[in-house]
Amino acid sequence: MGRKLPQVFFALSTLALVLIVAAVWQASTPSWKDYQRRFFQLEAQDEPNAVTKAAVLATPPQIHQILLPGLQRVDRCTTCHLGVDDPTMKDAPEPFRYHAGLGPHIPSKFGCTICHGGQGLATDVKDAHGEVPFWQDPLLAKSYIRASCGRCHKEGDVPGVPELTEGRRLFESEGCHGCHKLNGVGGSIGPDLTEEGTSHRSPEWLERHFLAPNVVSTGSAMPNFHFTREQARALTYYMLSLTNEEMGSYYSSVLLIPSPEYGRQLFVEKDCIVCHSIGGVGAKTGPDLLAVTKRHSLEWLDEQLVNPQLVYPGSSMPEYDLETNARKALVAFISAATSDDAQEILGHRGKALTAEDVAIEAGRRDFARFGCAGCHGTELQGGVPNPNAQGGQVPSLLHVSDDYTKDEVIQIIRDGKVPPLDNASGPTPPLYMPSWKHLLSEEDIHQLVEFLWSKQQKSKESW
Amino acid sequence: MNRRAFFNWGTGGLVALCSGVGVSFAAMVRFLVPSVFYEPPQSFKIGDPADFPYGPPTFLPEEKIFVFRDRDRGFAVASAVCTHLGCTVAYFQSDHRFHCPCHGSVFGPNGAVQHGPAPRGLNWFEITQARDGQLLVDKDKVVPPSYRLMV
Amino acid sequence: MNLIREIWQSIVRRDPLSTDKGKSELVFLNVWLHIHPAKVKKENLRFKYTFYLGFITFFLFVILLTTGIALMCYYRPYPPQAYQDMKDLQFVVFMGPFLRAMHRWAAHAMVVCVFLHMCRVFYTGSYKKPRQFNWVVGVFLLLLTLGLSFTGYLLPWDQLAYWAITVGTNIGSYAPFIGSQVREILLGGHTVGEAALLRFYVLHVAILPSAIILLTIVHFWRIRKDGGLSRPVWKLAPNKVEQLVTIGAPAETAPLKVVAASKDKTYGLMEVVTGKPIFETITPEEEEDAVFSYPYAFFREAIALMVTVTGIMVVSLFLHAPLEQLANPAKTPNPAKAPWYFLGLQELVSHSALLGGVLAPTLMVIVLLAIPYFDRNPSRRPSDRKWAIWLFTIFVVANLVLIVIGTFFRGPGWAFVPPWIHVVAGAE
Repeated sequence: MGRKLPQVFFALSTLALVLIVAAVWQASTPSWKDYQRRFFQLEAQDEPNAVTKAAVLATPPQIHQILLPGLQRVDRCTTCHLGVDDPTMKDAPEPFRYHAGLGPHIPSKFGCTICHGGQGLATDVKDAHGEVPFWQDPLLAKSYIRASCGRCHKEGDVPGVPELTEGRRLFESEGCHGCHKLNGVGGSIGPDLTEEGTSHRSPEWLERHFLAPNVVSTGSAMPNFHFTREQARALTYYMLSLTNEEMGSYYSSVLLIPSPEYGRQLFVEKDCIVCHSIGGVGAKTGPDLLAVTKRHSLEWLDEQLVNPQLVYPGSSMPEYDLETNARKALVAFISAATSDDAQEILGHRGKALTAEDVAIEAGRRDFARFGCAGCHGTELQGGVPNPNAQGGQVPSLLHVSDDYTKDEVIQIIRDGKVPPLDNASGPTPPLYMPSWKHLLSEEDIHQLVEFLWSKQQKSKESW
Repeated sequence: MNRRAFFNWGTGGLVALCSGVGVSFAAMVRFLVPSVFYEPPQSFKIGDPADFPYGPPTFLPEEKIFVFRDRDRGFAVASAVCTHLGCTVAYFQSDHRFHCPCHGSVFGPNGAVQHGPAPRGLNWFEITQARDGQLLVDKDKVVPPSYRLMV
Repeated sequence: MNLIREIWQSIVRRDPLSTDKGKSELVFLNVWLHIHPAKVKKENLRFKYTFYLGFITFFLFVILLTTGIALMCYYRPYPPQAYQDMKDLQFVVFMGPFLRAMHRWAAHAMVVCVFLHMCRVFYTGSYKKPRQFNWVVGVFLLLLTLGLSFTGYLLPWDQLAYWAITVGTNIGSYAPFIGSQVREILLGGHTVGEAALLRFYVLHVAILPSAIILLTIVHFWRIRKDGGLSRPVWKLAPNKVEQLVTIGAPAETAPLKVVAASKDKTYGLMEVVTGKPIFETITPEEEEDAVFSYPYAFFREAIALMVTVTGIMVVSLFLHAPLEQLANPAKTPNPAKAPWYFLGLQELVSHSALLGGVLAPTLMVIVLLAIPYFDRNPSRRPSDRKWAIWLFTIFVVANLVLIVIGTFFRGPGWAFVPPWIHVVAGAE
């Protein structure tokens, strides 16, 4: 018989017993139990009634879970953040503090991570806050949390989050569409931004990228737009809101806070002033719109926008294909619009409208909408670096009429153009003129060219 | 090693082993007890007291409860699940009774069985007021039919 | 009191363990233990001869079975719930992380021990006649172990799992004619997706464990029928050496002395049936070398079990099983590596798909299977087998080197990057 085997057996068995007890102990003492104990002590502190106090202190620890099938997530944050819906905890230390200002966004219906980020499935601090490798959605810093509003409130203004509106506006005006696709519209030179909010690029990275694209993303062809810090932040907010999560109807039918700004934009876009007046200023074909919400209900007005023939059979008002949020915004604008607004809108439109004016206006809108400004500049000045292209940069459009006929430009817009190489054996330039025939109709292209021609500058005669 | 020493060490080892197995078994049973439930919670808020009218009870279909509000005595919450085989009962204002459509059980105003195959009366659940003022129902806590919450 | 004794004796029907008869009956009257002989030769128990690797591998499998079945209560094989369930096991289930760690480390340990066991069997020449076919069964058990580890690897459905299996199945698809068809059957599609996860799950929890259990039964049975566990026969005195005889095989006229079949204690059971107790069949000269399985063999087995279990537990207490981010078919990690036991193959594939994906593995399996039939040297003494030992050692070392290179020396793009050099991550 082996000399010491029985002792070895005893030692190993005892070790096994110790280990299994250690494993059970490890499993029975997760950190969240400590937090719960501290919370109950806090709760019991001010409780005068001895019976209730004892009951509170004796509450069994358990994991709290908010099931959110409509948001496709499970949040366990309230396991430690127990005071989130308890107003008496407004001065308590974190993690027990009351969350004020939620309004309709109650935790039991919205959870926490949809706004704050983090890992809802986790039950210990570092993992739950997402500050671990392999979880790429960490808690949003305080300065970026409000960007999450844009994940549901996708259009119009969100009160308290002007950055979203500004970011959206900048995206359109600076011509980002020219290189980046968004919701199917845009160019393919840069990455598609439709779901940039879920790309796991951190807000800090995005903001730095807007301020200095080439430094942050080496080799990028994106020009430096010289944004201010505030503009970069606004754009970052807009990026963070670009998500395409599947949400239950409770969340996706969210009431839009109608934006009068957006409504005004639509009013101008659809050229309502051509038939309507506000406070006497404008056209006389259709009714005056001043204080129209006092005469008709919002539902009536909404129906009018959807189906004008239903309300006034034989009406010459066309059917505009506006979605719910857009209609709400338009009505919001009209409800507060005055004759001054109408005056301003008329002023921007110029006096008489010729077919050419219409075309130029349409062309200007398309120039902005499809992001041509992104490469050719908002003033058509060009200048964006394009290494190894002839001229070394994206050309200015202010002198195209010198070198091309209208038909040639139409053909370039329709079919695209690869810039001629400066050095034939050098690398291909990163920027090129894409083909737009799939996105722009012939009429659109004609209108663009009309717009371009209206902007041409006479070049100096050279001898 | 002599027989006694072998026996002692061996038995000691066996005892430790059996204890280890015992602890493992208990741990395995606890492992199988779920710590979270992928179901609607048993304890939930139903809204502000002002949201509930006096008179006929408010039926909450997802939570399957009736919320009674009496001017004099306050709030009470009754289960809408028939104790016979689990169908959802309906409350009729005409006779102040709960009627089960499946097998005809009838429960009185306090939930007691008056008619039909149901073995027990309807459960009444604890209702309290949470610290933010909302009403909190806990289905894990069954209370007598006389329980009321005065707000 | 009598009733209690009656109940006890209706369950335990052997003589007390203090008697020799009782010790024997404990073995052959017990359904769980009767695969053992009532007595074993002392040399069978030598730790430094076998290191009990076979037993350890078997115990690891038992650990894997129990922890695996426990984990099945919380796991759904459908993406993406599979990943959510892994998170639940990590954060919400009592002893979830511990059980998962036990399962993962036991799995890695089993692959290692199966390989070491194979090496031991080779080095001690225990595959030679009449044990050739048991070696073949063993090779299949090795392949099944690798298959179990591979199918289990996918189940967490994280980036590591997804891409390891993508790489692994792609290596397999290089096989001529059947490669892509087999891959399609395995994956239930053209890429790793829902169908693959479900099939891998069924393979992992039902098909492969059943196959391993069936073959293990054969493996153990053949050990008994081949004459018992291996011993270093070349160290024994000549008159004690016997040629191992199997049932039905003709008695070999070999240079070694042949012991008549009826003297081999494998047949002891038949003697008992005729009424004579088993130990009387053992020849006098054997009796000194043979000891009762209880307590000698069982004690050592128990210790081997304890070492295995406590070893895995210690590792599981301190090292939790890793979990990376959710599997993302659109984003390949750089580099994407197969599970470690296939990294040698992946290294070869990086030089030549034909070599690494087809030739190397096929050749390895065929050579392994052929060893006992190819090796005509009847001696098991190490000094008589220098060539065999050298060749095998080279094969083992080559495998290890390839795996080490694939694990530590290959960085992004499969570039050769020594592990002490820090690779600067590229821009986003």
